[in-house]
Amino acid sequence: MGRYVLRRLVESAVTFVLVTIVVFLGIRALPGDPARALAGEESDPAVLAEIRRSFGLDQPVHVQYLRYVGNAVTGDLGRSSRTGLSVLDTIAHALPVTLQLALFSMLIATVIGIGAGVVAAVRRRTASEWAANSVALLGLSVPNFWFGLMAVLVFAIAYPVLPASGFVSFTDDPAESIRHLLLPAIVLGSGLAAVIMRQTRSAMIEALGTDYVRTARAKGLGGTQVVLRHALRNSLIVVTTIVGLQLGALISGAVVTEQIFVLPGFGKLTIDAVFTRDYPMIQGVVLVTATAYIGINLLVDLLYSVIDPRIRVGGWVL
Amino acid sequence: MILMVAITLAACSSIDSGQPQSTASDNRPARAGGTLRVALAEEPDVFDPTLARTLVGRIVFNAICEKLYDVDSQLAIVPQLAAALPEFAPDGLSATIKLRTGVKFADGTSLDAAAVKRSLDRHMTLEASARKSELLSVAAVEVVDPATVRVRLKQPFTPLTAVLADRAGMVMSPQALDGGDEKFGTNPVCVGPFKFATRVAQDRIEVVKDPNYYDAAKVYLDKIVYRIIADATTRFNNLRSGDVEVLDRVAATDVEALRSTANLQLLTSESLGYQGITINLGNVDGVGKPPKTLTGALAGPLARDAKVRKAFEMSLDREALNRVVFRGQFTPACGPISKASPLSSDAAQACTGHDPAGAKSLLSQAGVTAPLRVSLVIGNTPEGARLGQAIQAQAKDGGFDVQLVPTEFAAALDQTDAGDYQMFQIGWSGRIDPDGNIANFVRTAGSQNISGYSNPTVDGLIDQARASGDIAVRRDLYGKIITQLHQDAPLIYLYRQRNFTGVTRNVVGVRVYGDGLIRLGQAGFAA
Repeated sequence: MGRYVLRRLVESAVTFVLVTIVVFLGIRALPGDPARALAGEESDPAVLAEIRRSFGLDQPVHVQYLRYVGNAVTGDLGRSSRTGLSVLDTIAHALPVTLQLALFSMLIATVIGIGAGVVAAVRRRTASEWAANSVALLGLSVPNFWFGLMAVLVFAIAYPVLPASGFVSFTDDPAESIRHLLLPAIVLGSGLAAVIMRQTRSAMIEALGTDYVRTARAKGLGGTQVVLRHALRNSLIVVTTIVGLQLGALISGAVVTEQIFVLPGFGKLTIDAVFTRDYPMIQGVVLVTATAYIGINLLVDLLYSVIDPRIRVGGWVL
Repeated sequence: MILMVAITLAACSSIDSGQPQSTASDNRPARAGGTLRVALAEEPDVFDPTLARTLVGRIVFNAICEKLYDVDSQLAIVPQLAAALPEFAPDGLSATIKLRTGVKFADGTSLDAAAVKRSLDRHMTLEASARKSELLSVAAVEVVDPATVRVRLKQPFTPLTAVLADRAGMVMSPQALDGGDEKFGTNPVCVGPFKFATRVAQDRIEVVKDPNYYDAAKVYLDKIVYRIIADATTRFNNLRSGDVEVLDRVAATDVEALRSTANLQLLTSESLGYQGITINLGNVDGVGKPPKTLTGALAGPLARDAKVRKAFEMSLDREALNRVVFRGQFTPACGPISKASPLSSDAAQACTGHDPAGAKSLLSQAGVTAPLRVSLVIGNTPEGARLGQAIQAQAKDGGFDVQLVPTEFAAALDQTDAGDYQMFQIGWSGRIDPDGNIANFVRTAGSQNISGYSNPTVDGLIDQARASGDIAVRRDLYGKIITQLHQDAPLIYLYRQRNFTGVTRNVVGVRVYGDGLIRLGQAGFAA
């Protein structure tokens, strides 16, 4: 077990270093001089040279990388070349926004998706199933940016019941937080709700045709009990797996929603950093993302090894 | 024949903007108190007047960092932290500036000549300063007495006053500067109706009323929150929904909708800048280097022969471009000086009209077989694409086959600085003094001369205009410069943007002048 853990830790560290090197080199290969992007309308060559010097861009790439890594291990991810604010602080403010949005979206998508999926499975070949399928199709087909703009036009301008933009943290004011996140969460979760609905419907149809459900009905259990306590409970295994897999997609898909609803989240931070060639911010964002992905993968692998002894001994599943 | 002469005369007439200006929201009385929310189009960069480079940053600075000079609604320079306009010595080699007295920074310390000298010295000497090129003509700054500074110049430089009406004229608290150069940008302390309170990246900047301000009694608002909303449609929706009260940079396509919304008002002013097409004439070694003869694919008749460039200009219909691309909201322009500038003249406003037949004729005089294939770098934005396509369609009638090259902005700057382009659609946000709109772009080896244009006559005229303190003389000189630029055509000026600012009707006292800055010092909620 100890050898397996050590091996996975080393592999994770190597992967992490490789990712940072690739991104470090990759952003420097982007067309567009970051000094020129920072200089804005000024293009005095002396000013550009000084900008490069002050951000260390005049150093050889390997020197820049080692300096960056040296600072990063002490928790110093540098300062944004655009705003001068600490990269770590900026990311620390942005991450919770995206996480709250993603989790709220997932909650809404799950409630709507499961509810619609159950209805579609139970009332097959009726108007209810047709309606649920149509809504699912719309949720999958309609682009986020259009849906978001329409939602703002209807619920913030024509019938102003919800704000058009802005973010309030759940920990600061739960009621206001929900008010501000409701529209973005519905917009972001619409695609996922459709996927959940389809999966729930399929799993429910299969479950409703099984022997144990027939037995439950034969025992005299009511329709609701059969559907919810037996069929749905068993269907949720598949749905839960899918929801877990979709969390990553939600976080990456939040970029557009964050732009429309002006949420100062992680996705928007990344896009803005790339467009302004804010190297320290891009590197910080990648570092955090790589840490999260590699960390989660490592945890999952270690959990597998706890669950399945074959993995920790031989390293391969037979 | 008479008809042709009449048409030609009309085509050569000056451009009349004809659009009414509305620079201030109404003058109803304001009540004390309230928090005003302003939507900015981009995130400002660092709040350090020595290092800052963005226009949106200047909007926030306008509330928290006054300057030695400012402009009024007629774009005339007026004193702000100075007590009067500078007194230039007869030889033009020094300028004496008297300062307003009894002024305090937001941290309670006093503004005096030593503080002004410290700020100017920092603008000139701090390593990464973005103000160095603006203050190149300054040799030294001296303290004459606590309320007077003297600026010694290397050569006469009349645009100095205009330079001091921008970030180079902002005065920073020495006590705050003592806390470290890096810290100042994240917690700026200057003189202003408001003072910096907090900043959350990507989200908002908050400033609060400064009780130390010398005119605090005239400030109504308690707080201003600047929110960053990059997408123009989202910005507009937030104004309509009431989530913000002031909107920076209304898109031209939203102007009519804003005008027809009852609870919104539109402030407009003509920009000091321009948008146009820059043509590569000799940029081989990069911007700022002496020009050379182009080679290869770039060395075509467009770069060699001014007739071909004039033909391209004649194939364009500026009025139609404005109508089709910008719904008639902007102003066609043929030169770098706004009609509203005190240094404008008939010569500065002269224009080559739309004449596709004349364009084809010029091409054949130049020995070029139409269609001539040329490439145009444009922005990869929806507006850039619309403009590029409109130019392409019009130029076809004049005998040009325009290949559009949509390029991301930072990459385009890189590419065109290096001279790796034929034509580039680019503009300039504009400066109060025409020198700021002309010199760096057309002087030989100018810091923004990506064209590689070089004409010693123009260089000489620019130097004369900089050295002269006589408005009439300068006006005449700029007229001559622009006439020569029209003949050589290194740039084809196309239009001048308008600054569109949206304001809800319950807000009063918001002012926007040609420099595009949203002035909120006297703004408030209607009583």
